[in-house]
Amino acid sequence: MRPHIIIRYIGIVLLFNALFLFISLLISIVQKDSALMPLAYSTILTTLLGLFPIVYVPATGNIDNKEGLVIVTLGWVLSCLIGTLPYILWGGGFTFTNAWFESVSGYTTTGSTIIMDIEALPQSLLFWRASTHWIGGIGIITFMLAVLPHLGKAGMILSRMELSALSMNNFHFRTRQILKILLLVYAGLTFLETIALVLCDMSVFDALTHSFATIATGGFSTRNLSIAYYQSPAIEIVIMVFMLLSGIHFGLLFLFFTGKSFRILLSSIVKFYVLAMAAGILVVTYKIHGTFYTGWVDSLRYAAFQVLSVGTSTGFATTDTSAWPYLTQLILIFFTLQCACAGSTSGGIKTDRILLFFMTLKKRIVQLQHPAAVVAVKIDGKPVDSDMVESSLQYVLLYLIIVFTSSMLLAALGVDSMTAFSASAATMGNVGPGFGMVGSMSNFSQIPDIGKWILSADMLLGRLEIYGLILLMGLKFWK
Amino acid sequence: MGLRIKILLGFLILSFMLVIAGIWSIYELSTVGESVNNLLKDNYQSVQASQQMIDALEREDSGVLLLLSGQWTQGREILDSADEAFQKAFTIARNNLTLPHEDEYIAEIDKNYLAYKALWERPIVDTSRQGDISWYFSEMHKAFQTTKDSVKLLMVKNEDNMYSTAIELKNRAHRAVMPGIVAIISALVVTLIFIYFVNYYFVTPIIRITRGVKDFQEKEIPFKEKFETRDEISDLAESIRTLLAQLRSYETKK
Repeated sequence: MRPHIIIRYIGIVLLFNALFLFISLLISIVQKDSALMPLAYSTILTTLLGLFPIVYVPATGNIDNKEGLVIVTLGWVLSCLIGTLPYILWGGGFTFTNAWFESVSGYTTTGSTIIMDIEALPQSLLFWRASTHWIGGIGIITFMLAVLPHLGKAGMILSRMELSALSMNNFHFRTRQILKILLLVYAGLTFLETIALVLCDMSVFDALTHSFATIATGGFSTRNLSIAYYQSPAIEIVIMVFMLLSGIHFGLLFLFFTGKSFRILLSSIVKFYVLAMAAGILVVTYKIHGTFYTGWVDSLRYAAFQVLSVGTSTGFATTDTSAWPYLTQLILIFFTLQCACAGSTSGGIKTDRILLFFMTLKKRIVQLQHPAAVVAVKIDGKPVDSDMVESSLQYVLLYLIIVFTSSMLLAALGVDSMTAFSASAATMGNVGPGFGMVGSMSNFSQIPDIGKWILSADMLLGRLEIYGLILLMGLKFWK
Repeated sequence: MGLRIKILLGFLILSFMLVIAGIWSIYELSTVGESVNNLLKDNYQSVQASQQMIDALEREDSGVLLLLSGQWTQGREILDSADEAFQKAFTIARNNLTLPHEDEYIAEIDKNYLAYKALWERPIVDTSRQGDISWYFSEMHKAFQTTKDSVKLLMVKNEDNMYSTAIELKNRAHRAVMPGIVAIISALVVTLIFIYFVNYYFVTPIIRITRGVKDFQEKEIPFKEKFETRDEISDLAESIRTLLAQLRSYETKK
């Protein structure tokens, strides 16, 4: 392990953050708003902190897996810390705890907020808030390529299962090329959504910030009422389409849109993802029809948006789901836990692991019926290594244990059980809103300070696929 | 990049961080001073003047009641002195227009007070109005209440502004302190990294060079130290390597 190399690359990460701080600063200068000095100081400080190691440490192209893990993980945590600067320097209701929560929520693309009046924030600060989502999205893509392979077979299954079409030979050999492709898809989707939203009469600023939040599956809006503010079916349709796309592996999207492969249509993971969403939308539409919305069209409109928003871990809202029937809330909680496909910017357990879980159940049932049969777990007709299956199931179990533990900790702080569980699941899955006190039309400001720290830890654990953070904390790792 | 520039840059970055934080803190503190001035001069003066106007109006109301009960001398004495106090406070408020639309509030007070004054300036004692309570409530008290309400509106406007200025003051104080705290923490982090770099890039290479030369002297192990940095340290190692190689070939020839 070479600490100086790690420091150099973390410096580059900070410089990338400084670039977005600088853009926010330019907005502040144009708007002449109150965030000018906080953004100016944050930009200067981040630039200096980023430049400092680059002056001393010469460039090197050879980074091993361990160093890659430390760079991405520490880079993420330090970005979260840098992200707090504009908030705490600006003041308002931002204590350090609140600023940390908001920043972590941004970078992990969770989208949970503690801000009660979002529209009171200056535009430059709102842009910075949306930028943290976009930067976080890039972090996720880098994490998939640089860190997940290091997490052994459990990590490899997620990164390789769908990437195999892109890199048939050697994963590491093609990493840089894949990174370029994925970033191209990421930027391309953001650009396309911005254009589409502008065509739907959204202002350029709102279109850009909402695109940042959609493609990164974040959920920060510039409006107190989130997407409900616009009351525009066209805007909702555009956002729904891009939320759905952002939940699919970016590599598959690239192959599909460039006409190189149509594996996306054959992938059982994508099929499961789309069918689960469709089933969820249908049941929710049926349940809310007649009670909350009189027409089928309205019921379908709100059900589709909320299921896609939660199911892709985005977290935008067009209505208050806390008032919906219990069955629909349970369906949304299922999607909060599952979320979308690996290889996208989505959080949660991931469709891939859930599918693997169901396939394992199927295998167990077949084995019970035919004890002598040799049955393998298969995905897309290819058998999956038993170690990989075991690792994935362990991950699901560990994930649920963490959600339950943080729910209990929140409940111990006096938070009601529905709020505690849904807040833990929503932050761990990087979804954003939950139910109860933290519903789709409310925020996390009522959660006690210690609770905010617990939920911030959940966001980081969820985003860094649990093992990433645990590995980093292990002493053995550093030897 | 040379050693001198590297060390200089390290210190410059550190200093720049602290200087910027200092400048910002000074700027925010100076605006805190301005806000305090606004709070005291602009709003507090108007609030005080409004309070004095209300006091004067209430004294005038007592004077009117004395006139109603037939006590002309005492009633007129109170009314004259209260009117003087009201005019004095009103002049202060009129000369201290600092908020948007404050002049409209002043004009409203002026209009209402003149109407009220017109009522009590007319004779009351020994007329049909003496002891007429229903007249007092239907005309006099109504005019008094309207004037008092218009003064209260001015006071509330200034108090509201005082509150928002106080909140702004709190934010300014926060903004003045935060850059300092952030700069101290950042400077501490940069200092630690700087110490690590000095140790890794300057101290360790010198130790390695010294050890290499010593090994050459004592054990005749060839000097092989190489450094990735392109600075005086790598030049020094290169020179020593050449020197020791020449020395060895000279000794071999000898």
